[in-house]
Amino acid sequence: MAYYQATKDPTTDIRERTYVPELLHGLAVTIRHFMRNLFFPRDTNTDVLNRTGTSQITTVSYPEEQVTYPPGYRGLHRLVPREDGKPRCVACYLCATICPAQCIHIEAGEYETTDASADSRVIEKYPTSFVIDELRCIVCGLCVEACPKDAIRMDTGRHTPSEYTRSGFVWDIPRLLEGPPVNHPSDPWLKRPGSERPAHAHLEKHARIGEGLVPLKLPRPAHPVRTEVTSGPVPVTKFLRD
Amino acid sequence: MSPKDNKPSSPPPPAAPPAKPAPKNPGFVTLNIDGKEVTAKPGTNLITAAKTVGADIPYYCWHHRLSIAANCRMCLVESSTSPKLVPACQTALQEGMSIRTDTERVAEVRRSVMEFLLLNHPVDCAICDQAGECKLEDYYQRLDHKPSRLEGGKILRNKRKVLGPLVVLDQERCVQCTRCVRFMDEVAKEPQLGMFARGSEEYIDVFPGQQLTSNYSGNVVDLCPVGALLNRDFRFRARSWFLSTVASVCTGCSRGCNTYVDFMGQDVYRYRPRENDAINQSWMCDQGRLSYKPLNLARVQAPSLGRADDRREVTAAEALLRATAQLKAMAGTAELAVLVSPSCSNEDLLAGLTFAKDALGVRHLYVGGRPDGAADALLMRADKNPNRKGLAWVSAGLGLSLEPFAALLKAVQAGTVKALYVLGAEVPVDEAEAARTLAQVEFIAVQATNVTPLTETADVVLPTATHVEDEGSFVQEDGVVQRVRRAFPPRGSTRGHWNWAVDIMREFGFPLTYESARDVFRELSPKVPELASFGWDSEAPPLKTQRGLQPLATGADGRPPGYREFGAPRVRGI
Ligand code: SF4
Ligand code: SF4
Ligand code: SF4
Ligand code: SF4
Ligand code: FES
Repeated sequence: MAYYQATKDPTTDIRERTYVPELLHGLAVTIRHFMRNLFFPRDTNTDVLNRTGTSQITTVSYPEEQVTYPPGYRGLHRLVPREDGKPRCVACYLCATICPAQCIHIEAGEYETTDASADSRVIEKYPTSFVIDELRCIVCGLCVEACPKDAIRMDTGRHTPSEYTRSGFVWDIPRLLEGPPVNHPSDPWLKRPGSERPAHAHLEKHARIGEGLVPLKLPRPAHPVRTEVTSGPVPVTKFLRD
Repeated sequence: MSPKDNKPSSPPPPAAPPAKPAPKNPGFVTLNIDGKEVTAKPGTNLITAAKTVGADIPYYCWHHRLSIAANCRMCLVESSTSPKLVPACQTALQEGMSIRTDTERVAEVRRSVMEFLLLNHPVDCAICDQAGECKLEDYYQRLDHKPSRLEGGKILRNKRKVLGPLVVLDQERCVQCTRCVRFMDEVAKEPQLGMFARGSEEYIDVFPGQQLTSNYSGNVVDLCPVGALLNRDFRFRARSWFLSTVASVCTGCSRGCNTYVDFMGQDVYRYRPRENDAINQSWMCDQGRLSYKPLNLARVQAPSLGRADDRREVTAAEALLRATAQLKAMAGTAELAVLVSPSCSNEDLLAGLTFAKDALGVRHLYVGGRPDGAADALLMRADKNPNRKGLAWVSAGLGLSLEPFAALLKAVQAGTVKALYVLGAEVPVDEAEAARTLAQVEFIAVQATNVTPLTETADVVLPTATHVEDEGSFVQEDGVVQRVRRAFPPRGSTRGHWNWAVDIMREFGFPLTYESARDVFRELSPKVPELASFGWDSEAPPLKTQRGLQPLATGADGRPPGYREFGAPRVRGI
């Protein structure tokens, strides 16, 4: 259409009507971009719109360059460790139950009462084997939703790397257990030394007060009480609430 | 009679208690529950009576086979006989009384009771084996559904108190219903459990210096409505919602307690007792409870030929051919003996003994079977074979006489037995010694479920299915015939005893068409008068009472998730 109109337009000159010079002009543009992209350095910024290099290629050469995924992206699973490096997972099988692809296989075991680490004795159940077949996983994230212990997350920001064999996609605890450890104030091992009855069964720190889970209904003055200081050293400010 | 006929002079009679209303249905109590009329036998519990009209009263501490403690207060209902709410479990039925279980007041009280029960409850369902079959969970979902309002700390107790060889206690999870204490006192008659301390510090424990060593300790795990008492054998091995259930019978002794078999894939995970008033009420013994293990462990899975080092696995056809050739040569002679175990089901015995009589031509059988063991007054019997009575019936019906195992050993030592056909490899004496003696026999064909010294010395081993892998029936010590149902297909290349017997008979040239244990029973039981009247189909318990989710045993394509490239996943600890 464009070609037809350009050549029939009586106001344009013979150069345009024969079209050959414009053809050559177009070729020159193409060759210029070709040379520029072929021989000049390319910016590897994965944010392609903000690339500045001479070469204007917008390709992201995965896997050497990897786009940073947005927060909330469901990537490769990880088993969240506790501070002591053991998995938070208590082998409750809820992820395996919910998984629509049936790709999680768990076997549970029991920490011995003689286990050196007290943390382990508080929650006596743990996974002796925890396997995810990443090839079968449909990345739905339901396992993360189902977990009552915040023990499985998909926040690695990576997706499953490629492998040469199917068995390579079967991820077990040593590969899954990674990333920063996580503790919650409600974690049992923060509340008691072991699974036996503590010497004082009613310790203050067992309470949920201060976790922010329960809004406190203590009577409290509407305005902070001011301490009038007339002489002497200024007392260290004590906050009523931390 | 008109009012004016009354004699005014006579004094009024003394105020008598209001006469009881005449029963609407003589011999029964008629009352009204939630606006529906209920007619019940006197002495019926209100909870049971309410169930008949669909009013499901929640309860923890009540159990129809234990005394009434009425301490959980979960079953409170409104009654026309009392201004306050009454515990349904403890309220006697009265003629004309009216009960309401569906009012706002009852709902509010149930919610409050749940809140109190959960006050110090750890709610660690994630690691609690009871999850999925826990009454606290169920009633919370049904009746409460509110977050905890507790601001102080929960009372901490021992979470892992090992009470005995089979039971572990989490004192935090207990709701103080005392079912376990009452069971040990009233049923097991071994009061080993008690309730200690008071108020919110109350906890269950064994009496000082004792252990929960009773042979009935497993029942307190079933009784405990929450996850406080747990079975150490089953704990952490499977989540309850993965298990499928089938009705069966315990084969641990001749009592024949009714059971549920909980299984996943082709592994049995536990037995639970099934109600039967005539035999085991609601209980079973620990010995029987653990007798599921041989169903998973050390099974003979493939037919094999040859003794000791010459042993090689073969196809079923090859094994059958070999057994047939050897047995046929000896058939009808006195040098051929048949050893039969009273642990086999009736169908196995019917087919196996018919084979022995018609094809092998023997006139008497030697009786093997497990040796006698301990017995007690409640359920456990000394005879550890589930079908001795059935063997007696079937052999009598077929005209075969029974001889003790010792006679077989004597005959073997005397050298008069040259070939032996074994239906069930259990022997009532030391297994290794018996196998050494029997090894003198020139040819032994064994149908066996598990690897024993006798299968090691056999020339032909035919792998046999267990009672959970095939339909069948057993006769318990008092002569009650009971059906078992098939939970899952036989493992490996195992087949029922009856199936092997029928297969060899076909090789012998008998035109048999039996395709199932049912066919065998239908065709052969008329020869046994005691079995002839048994309704094989009508007496069978329903096939599936509960179907578990099964995402773990196999994936949708039949391959286990996880290590599917490296073979089947390990089944731990069985
Ligand atoms: S993301 Fe979905 S499919 Fe993948 S393991 Fe989790 S639940 Fe299963
Ligand atoms: S849901 Fe969480 S705690 Fe439970 S088995 Fe899965 S990862 Fe472990
Ligand atoms: S007893 Fe019931 S409510 Fe309590 S932790 Fe166990 S499953 Fe959960
Ligand atoms: S341990 Fe279980 S059965 Fe015993 S009192 Fe506690 S909740 Fe009841
Ligand atoms: S069941 Fe009635 S009070 Fe517990």
